[in-house]
Amino acid sequence: MAVASLAHDAHGDADQLYIETRELRLQGFLLFLVSDCVLFSSFIFAYLYLRNSGQGWPPPGIHRLDVAFAAWNSVVLFGSGATMHYALENYKHGHWMRYMWFLLATIVLGAGFLGGQAYEYTHLIYGEHVTWSGSGIFGASFFTLTGMHGLHVFFGVCYLSVLVLQSAAGVYTRGKYFGITAGTLYWHFVDVIWVVLFSIFYLI
Amino acid sequence: MAVAAVHAGGIADHIHPEPQGFVRRYVFSLDHKIIGIQYIITAFVFFMLSGLLAEAIRTQLLNANGGFIAPDTYNEVYSVHGSAMVWLVIIPLLTGGFGNLVFPLQIGARDVAFPWLNMLSFWIFPVAGLMLFSSFLMGAPTAGWMEYPPVSLQGAAGTSMWAAAIFLVGVSSTMTGINFVVTILKMRAPGMTFTRMPLFCWGQFATAPLLMIATTALAAALAALFIERQFGVPFYDPTKGGSPVMWQHMFWFYSHPAVYIMILPAFGIISEVLPTFARKPIFGYKLIAFSSMAIALAGFMVWAHHMFTSGLAPFLQLPFMILTFAIGVPTGIKIFSWTATLFGGKIHYTTAMLFAIGFVGLFTLGGITGIFLAAIPFDLHVHGTYFVVGHLHYVLVGGSMMAVFAGMYYWFPKMSGRLLNETLGKWHFWLFFIGFNGTFIPMHWLGVLGMPREVATYDPQFQFWNRFESVFSYLMAFAILIFFANVLWSIRNGKRSGPNPWGARTLEWQIPSPPHYYNFKHIPTVYGLPYDFSQPLPYKGLEEELTDSPPPVGVGAH
Repeated sequence: MAVASLAHDAHGDADQLYIETRELRLQGFLLFLVSDCVLFSSFIFAYLYLRNSGQGWPPPGIHRLDVAFAAWNSVVLFGSGATMHYALENYKHGHWMRYMWFLLATIVLGAGFLGGQAYEYTHLIYGEHVTWSGSGIFGASFFTLTGMHGLHVFFGVCYLSVLVLQSAAGVYTRGKYFGITAGTLYWHFVDVIWVVLFSIFYLI
Repeated sequence: MAVAAVHAGGIADHIHPEPQGFVRRYVFSLDHKIIGIQYIITAFVFFMLSGLLAEAIRTQLLNANGGFIAPDTYNEVYSVHGSAMVWLVIIPLLTGGFGNLVFPLQIGARDVAFPWLNMLSFWIFPVAGLMLFSSFLMGAPTAGWMEYPPVSLQGAAGTSMWAAAIFLVGVSSTMTGINFVVTILKMRAPGMTFTRMPLFCWGQFATAPLLMIATTALAAALAALFIERQFGVPFYDPTKGGSPVMWQHMFWFYSHPAVYIMILPAFGIISEVLPTFARKPIFGYKLIAFSSMAIALAGFMVWAHHMFTSGLAPFLQLPFMILTFAIGVPTGIKIFSWTATLFGGKIHYTTAMLFAIGFVGLFTLGGITGIFLAAIPFDLHVHGTYFVVGHLHYVLVGGSMMAVFAGMYYWFPKMSGRLLNETLGKWHFWLFFIGFNGTFIPMHWLGVLGMPREVATYDPQFQFWNRFESVFSYLMAFAILIFFANVLWSIRNGKRSGPNPWGARTLEWQIPSPPHYYNFKHIPTVYGLPYDFSQPLPYKGLEEELTDSPPPVGVGAH
C-alpha cells in the first residue's frame, strides 16, 4: 500500500526531483531489505541444517523452549506492527497528533518486546544454563538468530525514536516523508522475520 | 522533446555542484567516474601484491622439495593470494571499477542512484584490503581461499582477520550491487529501453543482483566462522555438533555465483570491444543479453558441484551435475555469438582487440575444463588436484583478467584523454598470452596425474613441468610490469585520444575524454541499438557535447 501510494503524489509540496529521488531511495531500501532477508535466510538454513544433522531436537539435556511466554511476546511485537501501520496511515491523512501517539506506542511495544527477550535470555542462561557458546548447536543457533533479530528490533527502536525527534522538529512535510515510509517498511520486515523465527524455534 | 520535457527538473537533470578542491575532487569524490578510477588503481595495487605472492608460490615450486619458504608460510601465501585475487582484484575491478566508470555513461545518466553510498562502498574496500594483508602480521589464514573448517577453525589469529576483511568487502559489494540495480532500473536516458542497452550494461545488470544476494549469504557464513573462532560458539566444529560441510554449502552458495560476478561483466567488456574493432554489429544481441540473465539465475542452483567429494548424497549429486552442464548452453551461445561477430568483420588488431580475442579462446578452454569438472566421475578423480587450479586460472586469468586488460586498453582514453602505447601493449599481450599458457596448461596433465594442490612440496616426477610453469610465470609477471610501465608512461606522454579514438558508438564515446563532472550537457534521447555500424548514430541531443557551450545549470544540490 505504501509502495502504491508513492507512485503518484497527490500532495502539493513534493517537487519532481524529490519524487524521483524518493523512488530511487524506495527501490534501494527494498533491495537492502532483500539482502538483509538473505542474511537471515542463510542463518536459518544453517539452523535447519544443523538441527537435522544431529540427534533429534532439542538436543539431549535441553528442555523445549517456553512457547507460551514467547507467544505473548510475539503478540507485543505484532501489535507494534499494527501501531506502526496506523502511524504511517495517519501521517498520510494529515492527523499529526495521532501519528505521534501511534509512533510512540510502536516504540514502547518494540522496547517491550526487547524486554521480554531479555527476560527470556536471563531465564535460559541462569535458570536452565543454556548459553550461546556452551550449549552446542542449540545455543549457537537460538542465540545467534534471535539475537540478530533482537539487534534489528533495537536498531528499529532507535530509528523510530529519531523519527519522533525529527517529526517534532518539523523535518517531514505533507509530501516529503520518505524517512517514515522507510521506518514502516523496516519495522514490518522485522515483524515478518519474527514470524519465521517463532515458527521454526518454538512451534516445530 | 516531449520526453525530455517530462524529465525537466527531475533526477535526469540533477547535477552535482562542481567539486571544489583536491579532496572533494579526487579523494572523497562523489563522481562515479572518479570512484571507478579509484577502484581500478586500488585493485591494481592489490593485484601487484598478490601477484608477488603468486610468484613466491611458483618460486617455491621450482624444486620438488621446496626450500624457498617454509611449508607453513607457503600455506599462508597461497591462501592470501587466492583471497586477494578474488575479492580485492577481480571483483572490484570488474564491478566497482569498470562498472562505475562506464555504465552510467552508457545509459546516459549523470551519476549512479546513490553517489554517497558509492563513495562509502569504495572507501570500505581499501580498508578491508589492508586488513586482509595485515593478517600476515598475526599469522595469516592457511586453509586456502575457501577456508574450509575445521582447518580454518584451528588457523592462526589472522584467520579471524581474514573473515572480518572478506565480510567488509562483502558489505561494499552489496552496496555496489544495490546501487547498480537501482541505477539501471531507474536512471536510463529517455528512449534507452532494456533492449537498446549496451551489452556491458547487461553484464552489470546481471551481476548486480548476484553481488547483492550471494554476497550476503557469504556474510552469514563468515560471521558464523568469526563468532565460532572468537567466542567458541559451535557452528562448524563437529566435536560440538557443528558441521564443516555446512560451511561448504554456505561458502559455495556464494562462491559459485561469485564466479559469475567475476565473468559476466567481463562478457560485457568483450561484447563492447569485439563489435567496435570488427566494425560489425554484435551477432545475437538479445541472445547475449538474455543468456547473461540465464547464467546469473542458474548460477544459484549449481553450488554443490564443488562438493562431490564432500559426502553429498548421490541423489543430490546428479541434478547438480546436470544443471552445471546446462549452464554451458548460455555460455556457448555467447561464444558462438562472439565468433559470429568476428566472422566477415573488418578486424582492427588493436591491443584491446587482441586481448578480447585472446579472451574468447582462453575462456573457452577454461569453460570446457569446467564442464569436465562438473562430470561427477571425472571430478572424483581430479578433485583437489592441479587440474582444478589450471581450470580456475583459465577462467579467472584467461577470462576475467584478459577482459580487464581489454577494458583498460579500450577505456583508458576515456579515463585520461590519452591512448595507451600500442607497441608496449602488443608486447604486453603476447608475453602475457605466452606466459599464461605456459604457466597453466601443464597444470591440467599434472592434475590428471595426481599432483595435489595447496601442498608445499611434490613428487619429483613432476619437477620438469613445474619448473616449466615457474619460468613462464616469470614471463607473465614481466608482461604485467610492461603494462604498468605503459600506464605510467602513457598517462603523461601518451598520444591524445580525442573523444572517440576507436570510432565506437556507445554513448560514453560521444562526449569529451575525460568527461566533465556532469557527463552530458543535455541528457540524450536514444532511438536504437548502438551496434549498427552502417547507420547514423541513434542519439539525439548530443550536438553541443563537443562544443564550447557553457556547462548545464544544475537543479538542486546534494
